[in-house]
Amino acid sequence: MDTLTILLLAFISIVIINNLVFTKFLGICPYLGVSGRIDMAFGMGLAVTFVVTLSGAMTWMIDHWVLMKAGLEVTRYVCFILVIAGAVQLVEMYLRKFFPSLYESFGIFLPLITTNCAILGLCLFINLWEIDNLLEAAVLSFGAGIGFTMAICIMAGIRENLNLADVPRCLRGAPITLITAGLLALAFMGFAGMIR
Amino acid sequence: MSNIKHFFEQSWLLIVSSFFFGLLIAVANAAWSERIVQNEIDKRNRLMTDLIADANSFDVAAQAVEIPDTKAKVVKTDIYRALDGSGRTVGFAFIAVGSGFQDKIKLVIAVDGKCEKFLGFKVLASNETPGFGDKIKDSYFSSQFRDAPAGKLQLVKTGDDKKIDSEIVAISGATVSSEAVVKIFNTYIDTVREHLQTKGSAGNGK
Amino acid sequence: MASEALDKPALGQTFIAGLWNENPVLRLVLGMCPTLAVTAAVRPALTMGCSVIFVLVCSNLVVSLMRNLLKPHLRILMFTLTIAAFVTIADLFLKAFLPEMSERLGPYVPLIIVNCIIICRAEACASKNGLAVSLVDAIGMGLGFTMTLCVLASVRELLATGKIFEQQVMPAVFVPWAAMSMPVGAFITLGLMLGLVNTITKKKA
Repeated sequence: MDTLTILLLAFISIVIINNLVFTKFLGICPYLGVSGRIDMAFGMGLAVTFVVTLSGAMTWMIDHWVLMKAGLEVTRYVCFILVIAGAVQLVEMYLRKFFPSLYESFGIFLPLITTNCAILGLCLFINLWEIDNLLEAAVLSFGAGIGFTMAICIMAGIRENLNLADVPRCLRGAPITLITAGLLALAFMGFAGMIR
Repeated sequence: MSNIKHFFEQSWLLIVSSFFFGLLIAVANAAWSERIVQNEIDKRNRLMTDLIADANSFDVAAQAVEIPDTKAKVVKTDIYRALDGSGRTVGFAFIAVGSGFQDKIKLVIAVDGKCEKFLGFKVLASNETPGFGDKIKDSYFSSQFRDAPAGKLQLVKTGDDKKIDSEIVAISGATVSSEAVVKIFNTYIDTVREHLQTKGSAGNGK
Repeated sequence: MASEALDKPALGQTFIAGLWNENPVLRLVLGMCPTLAVTAAVRPALTMGCSVIFVLVCSNLVVSLMRNLLKPHLRILMFTLTIAAFVTIADLFLKAFLPEMSERLGPYVPLIIVNCIIICRAEACASKNGLAVSLVDAIGMGLGFTMTLCVLASVRELLATGKIFEQQVMPAVFVPWAAMSMPVGAFITLGLMLGLVNTITKKKA
């Protein structure tokens, strides 16, 4: 298989088969929090995609070129979280300066992204899966962002319709969202084993 | 000058605590790292001892053997030699990795001292579906590998699971996981056998 | 009730708040990711709960100690740094003394860093209160979290395998529901549990 096929397969697998939200339970908090309206969900998804691509590639570089060379793997988690916090901070500053309108619409989501487990989770999974080239790591990170956006948008669409449904009182809000997520996860399980 | 002063005023706590936490982590690491390495070795040895009954001690027979993967990548693995009480080679074992139904499957595979027969496999790490894919750990499936000829294996849907040959009967409901295990065997065995037989490590102490 | 406890921190009240009124998982819906991911069996859930208690107590204490020195815009950075350091220590400890559990939990141990519960307690409680209150708050919250995790895990383990703590408890005729130990089971059990808790609180009020 050539490089392009590998990259394409990696992308599909992280978007659909190993979707971070449905199979690894990452990024559930924002998933429950902002999936109420589809436009907000999309904004959040884009912001996460941007940050996760940046930090996925950056943590890979730091891990492979600095930490492993220096034998400092034990400080990996501290470095990762600092890189992510830094990346979020950078994105925030850049947007505020050059794209004020985009910054306005992202505004509230940006600080939240630091504690989004999808991002740190992905960086850790890249390390766990022993991805050994930068390109694949970058594609995986981008795919993870797209997968998150997809999951959160599907959910937002369903929740907009749930508003019209007659949900038992005690299940309104988070519980019914979790149950819906469970059914979605069941649907996504159908993709497992697609790539061998 | 005032810039630098301002910088330190704002961030001295950050710098001091970074040093402090760095020290704390270093101490913890220094205290426990030996144990962590030992744990990994222990686990590997335990699994290998389960597979190779007469094994008493292990040493490394070959380091970082390059295995051509199906994805045009090269993976490296160490081959361990198992010795019995009197120092004879009774088998070899290596760690093999491949992609399963959901995630990677890590196996410990053992072959006999002449590298002619498999001695079976143990699952080091897998994330297969409970109740289906994780049946690869069950004896129905894993015993079929014991004493099978060390060469390419083939997966069949129906057949006699008691008969020991190169045909492996799949677990019903977990074809993908069964396939994955057989594929891992096939990816590794040729290179490992070649390595052991040409380098003359196999069959030495016999 | 919640705001009163914060205005006039009575230790007992703070402790109870973490267990029920402000239970991080059931009432605040925080820290979902470990809650769902590690509750396929009781043992990893318990390990996870204990690690969270350890990290929560340590970080709350440290944050409380330096609460007067914190600069507002560097606050979050300090919190994450503190938490990450303690999580690394917890992870090393698990690897050294409970290697099997460490393997089972995998990346979900480092993911404690971004567990919203810890940063939320640092921000909402420890950076405003003294040592004693922060400590009690951390223990209460931690226990509340662990308890919820264990309840969820025992339901799932029981239905998925018919065992609890790897001990067979269901009669042999019971057919295990494998789905319960998969993501589906996690989402749906937690959803129903939240619904149940909602019903109970409604009745009380």
